[in-house]
Amino acid sequence: MALFGATLIQLAFLLTLSAIGMSAWYFWKQDLRFYVGARRSLIGASLLVIGAALTLIQQLLVGNYALEYVARYSSRTNDGIYKIAGLWAGMEGSLLFWASVLGTYIFLVSYFNRKRNRTLMPIVNIVLGIVMLFFLFIIINFENPFRVLPLGTAIEAQGGTGLNPLLQNWAMLIHPPLLYLGYVGFVVPFAFAVAALVTKRLDATWIRSTRRWTLIPWLFLGAGVILGGRWAYVELGWGGYWAWDPVENASFLPWLTGTAYLHSVIIQEKKNMLKMWNVVLIMITFTLTIFGTYLTRSGILSSVHAFAATDLGIWFFGFVVFIILSCVALLVWRKDELSSQRRLESFTSRESGFLFNNMIFLALAMAILWGTMFPILSEAVRGVQITVGSTYFNRITAPIGMLLLVLVGVGPLLSWRRTSRATLLRNFTWPLAAGTGTMVIAMLLGMRQVYPLIIAGLVAFVLAGILIETVNGIRARRRLAGEGVFLALRSMIDKNRSRYGGYIVHIGILCMFIGFAGKAFSTEQDVSLGQGESEILKGYTFTVDRFYTEEHPSYSAFIVDLAVEKQHRPVTVLRPERRHYTNWEDQPNTEVALFSRPLEDLYAIVGGYDPESDKVLLKIMINPLVQMVWLGGIILILGTLVALLPSRAERKAKEVTA
Amino acid sequence: MPGQRKKFIILIVAFSVVTFGWITIGAGSDEVPYVSIAQLVDTDHEWKQTRFRLGGYVDEGSIVYSNARRTVEFTLIQEDDQLPVRYEGLTPDMFKDDAEVIVLGQLDDGVFVADNLMTKCASRYEVDISEPAYDLGRKI
Repeated sequence: MALFGATLIQLAFLLTLSAIGMSAWYFWKQDLRFYVGARRSLIGASLLVIGAALTLIQQLLVGNYALEYVARYSSRTNDGIYKIAGLWAGMEGSLLFWASVLGTYIFLVSYFNRKRNRTLMPIVNIVLGIVMLFFLFIIINFENPFRVLPLGTAIEAQGGTGLNPLLQNWAMLIHPPLLYLGYVGFVVPFAFAVAALVTKRLDATWIRSTRRWTLIPWLFLGAGVILGGRWAYVELGWGGYWAWDPVENASFLPWLTGTAYLHSVIIQEKKNMLKMWNVVLIMITFTLTIFGTYLTRSGILSSVHAFAATDLGIWFFGFVVFIILSCVALLVWRKDELSSQRRLESFTSRESGFLFNNMIFLALAMAILWGTMFPILSEAVRGVQITVGSTYFNRITAPIGMLLLVLVGVGPLLSWRRTSRATLLRNFTWPLAAGTGTMVIAMLLGMRQVYPLIIAGLVAFVLAGILIETVNGIRARRRLAGEGVFLALRSMIDKNRSRYGGYIVHIGILCMFIGFAGKAFSTEQDVSLGQGESEILKGYTFTVDRFYTEEHPSYSAFIVDLAVEKQHRPVTVLRPERRHYTNWEDQPNTEVALFSRPLEDLYAIVGGYDPESDKVLLKIMINPLVQMVWLGGIILILGTLVALLPSRAERKAKEVTA
Repeated sequence: MPGQRKKFIILIVAFSVVTFGWITIGAGSDEVPYVSIAQLVDTDHEWKQTRFRLGGYVDEGSIVYSNARRTVEFTLIQEDDQLPVRYEGLTPDMFKDDAEVIVLGQLDDGVFVADNLMTKCASRYEVDISEPAYDLGRKI
């Protein structure tokens, strides 16, 4: 089977190569047979890569520990589901997984464009083919997941090392695949942008064709980042969900530029402006996804996601440089076609709102990139590696984030082209009143921290804006179509799904900001407690009822029963654990005990047991409003789905053509 | 409207300058050098007042807990050099003999007093996730 898997990958490499050749030939000579041939080879290559990934999964499931990869990342004691997770637990597997996700996208793009975009598709195929070729090249030459262990190796006999216990968590099962689906997916709009440049078809066609192809990876990437935060929160036990780690940043950067792109394409669709800008934005986004992979995989930055340092770095770096140079060359070649005939007319227009939104997203991305790259830059310039920590990131990003919130509120209240003074007054009075009112009330209630106050005010401002617009829309429909409130709301959303989906996403973002603000009010305490002893934190009494050891098939656990009371009423019993997994005896694994109330999370971990004093060491935290971050994430996903799903009119149109 | 266009360009340039300044100033306020133990001895720089970061391995058998496990002392090794480290707080799961760690703190009388301890995994087999340490700083 090992040979089978490796052969599949090699065949896929050859097919991809021929697909690129045939596409180029078709583009040159317009011989339709080559177009069809290229399409078929590319689909064939994709299916082979997916087949190779499935082969590896099958090997993981049956437990062929003669394969080095299987022996390293799974074990007999792992549950089936965690055996599958082995596919993305290590370098070789995750590269193959990456390629197979790309293969899936290629397959879908070919399928949905089988009759459309015939001018763009040959170039799209070439771009997708080159990316695929690069990953297959790396897998074949450096990271073959089907390598066989030398005969009689100990780890084969013992039935594999198993997945690191830290990865054995539901969020870890979905987080990497989601991130990959997001990362890889941006290649599709990128390929279309390149094709539009090459073929000079720079109107909004390529943007309309890729609207969903952009929203889907954007959704996956966002959901993946949020789930990663959730995993860190419930599994790692330091009480937070975001640490500005280089690898986290690497996944966040393309999301930011991708968000900027999602906004700026609206202007091209509606006004046929910003052509150059949109092309550049999607190029940056795609480059950042490859660059992110490079950061993650090369080990040039010390990250807590310590992937083994390899010599792959140079290849990835070369690929990034190749992408950047080709993009710049393309832009220079087509710069005349990219200039717009129309100009922005006024500052107080929705166009300029979008433009500022874009600048702020880019500024945010720049700030994060700068901080992430700082160790490398400073070493190059000053000879010393200097790192910047979360203090830098929080200080820099907080005000930029606030500005962004302002725009979330202001943008939708502006009209296209220019907003008259009367409209400004009418649209802004109530939201502004709501914002200031909320801030005043919050201050009267004793809130003194600056950022939480600003966030509270801005949230009210944005919400009021959305609410007023929705209410006005419903009223208008009720008047014109005589519909009931809910029907009016439904048909209003259906008429303009991207717009109202966008508003729902905005509400999700607001929720998340409220959650971020909650961090300013969190409390934590390290305590050593003996049996029966207690600690009071923010009105909660934490009492150690007992501590004991439990044996399980794959681990043994040291458990503390921590009873929580508030005003003499029992709230819950927290049970933080410290586990020792078979095969991983020297790495204890803390299991967080988490009790979520609507407004705050009670969070406890056990750090150890001190036999001398017969006490356990605990870290107790009270984290307000963390729930809002996850709630915001769910709303964000729902909003994106609203924007993604076809409207009734679109569905009808499809039925007619079908 | 050429005048309008000029205004936009001025605004964009101004925004970029402010952002860039903001970023570089912000970075300067939270710079922590990453040094090696050898550098501490060799350079004339007075390291005593500076907060810095050190990376290395935990010397086998050097971990000693005290104060009901709330304080940990160990020896950090970098090739031929070594330095005693003290850290107060709960240690991350992967903190153990031979683990690769990154500590952040200050020198005090020949002992590196860390206020932040991060581990990278250097176990038998490459594993891709380790653990951010506690107290990575407040997030808004």
